[in-house]
Amino acid sequence: LNVSSTIPPCQLQAKDFRSDLKPIWCPGCGDFGVLQAIYRALAGVNRPPHEIAFVSGIGCSSRIPGYTTAYGFNSVHGRALPIAQGIKLANPDLLVLVAGGDGDGFSIGGGHVPHAIRRNLDLTYIVMDNQIYGLTKGQLSPTSPKGLKTVTSEYGSLEDPVNPLLYVLAYGAGFVAQGTPADMAGLADMIEEAIKYPGFSFVNVQSPCVTFGEDDQQVKAHRAHMKPLKSLGHDVTNRLAAMDLAQHYGSELHTGVFYRNPNPPPTLDALVRERQGTLNGKAQPRERILDMFIQR
Amino acid sequence: VGGHTRGIDFTKLALVDAIDLAVLIEQEASDRYEELADQMELHHSDRVARFFRHMQEIELAHEARLRERRTRLFGNAPRRVRREMIFDIEAPDYDEVRAGMTARAALCAALRAEQKAFAFFDATIPKVGDAEVRELFTELRAEEAEHQAIVERQIQKLGPDADLSTDEFADEPVAH
Repeated sequence: LNVSSTIPPCQLQAKDFRSDLKPIWCPGCGDFGVLQAIYRALAGVNRPPHEIAFVSGIGCSSRIPGYTTAYGFNSVHGRALPIAQGIKLANPDLLVLVAGGDGDGFSIGGGHVPHAIRRNLDLTYIVMDNQIYGLTKGQLSPTSPKGLKTVTSEYGSLEDPVNPLLYVLAYGAGFVAQGTPADMAGLADMIEEAIKYPGFSFVNVQSPCVTFGEDDQQVKAHRAHMKPLKSLGHDVTNRLAAMDLAQHYGSELHTGVFYRNPNPPPTLDALVRERQGTLNGKAQPRERILDMFIQR
Repeated sequence: VGGHTRGIDFTKLALVDAIDLAVLIEQEASDRYEELADQMELHHSDRVARFFRHMQEIELAHEARLRERRTRLFGNAPRRVRREMIFDIEAPDYDEVRAGMTARAALCAALRAEQKAFAFFDATIPKVGDAEVRELFTELRAEEAEHQAIVERQIQKLGPDADLSTDEFADEPVAH
């Protein structure tokens, strides 16, 4: 973005991605800011809404696809990633985004995350991590801090939380970032960068729940305590350094890109296309595909 | 704390772009007030919703006045600044509002939005290279100060807060 030239006539704007549906989140919810950042990131990517599929699971944040003009699929709890992978393989030309909460992604759908990462389809997964099950009125979620008192942990949680950043870095995600709606400009930039990364990209957004979240998890607290990784001189191509920083999840709010693979490997969708090209006419026609198994 | 811009070099900003930027700032604020009013209506806070609609109308009037000035000075000259270049310059922050917030809290949110806009122009003026742009931004900064004074007077007019505070009752999300 710069003021050096006139706006190209076909340049999409953030408002082009805003649907007529009005969000019904609680006033003050962090997801409002995340949604604005997504609109702006999509304008930056400049792909028209009909070329975008937005898949989500279940939860407050999983309503997001409906608030955009992209094709949306508000799917089954924890199953956004498998559905998104199917969409991407069936139509690799689509830009596929996935969104959900921490419970959807790291509890109910936790088993799908490593496989989406190792398959390395060109997907962007945005998790709105509020450390609580907000929609169902405040139960412990996989990222709830130890000691948190909720309706399901009256005397304080005894469990250590899942660390989403370390989790995805350990499984080899090529792009890992963390943002907060307290810095909407930074969040929009990192989502745009994640979408442009050729492979599986992950953005963890600390998106506060105003109804059931703690005071120190709210946007005002983020503004006071967030530490942009740029200011620490972090080398985004150093995966081990990223893992070292990611260990502070829960105690420090580091924002920005943790890791970007400087040499992205081919994506699964690209490899499938290549395989199709190699096989050309030699592959079994689809209606005879079962014969391959019968012959063996 | 405050609004952000990206991709704008204020040392080289021309007057036409500066007016367009000011239009976008007002537009962003009016859109945000509309969103907040919608949220308040959905969560049964009609009094605050009416106030936010009123603020939306004020911001729309500011926008219209700037648009008229732009047309008068520059006609249909091409636009070079985009809405994606600004973030929350005069728009109240999303986390300023809560279900069941009081009229006083709503006025304070509006006051902080005006203060943010003042701070933006105040911090930007020294960076501006063009004399006419500096003059425009100085004028807009003065307007923000005036708006702050108006909102402050409204806050003073409020008696002891008779509304319930957000801490006194919790609203439930409304499913459609």
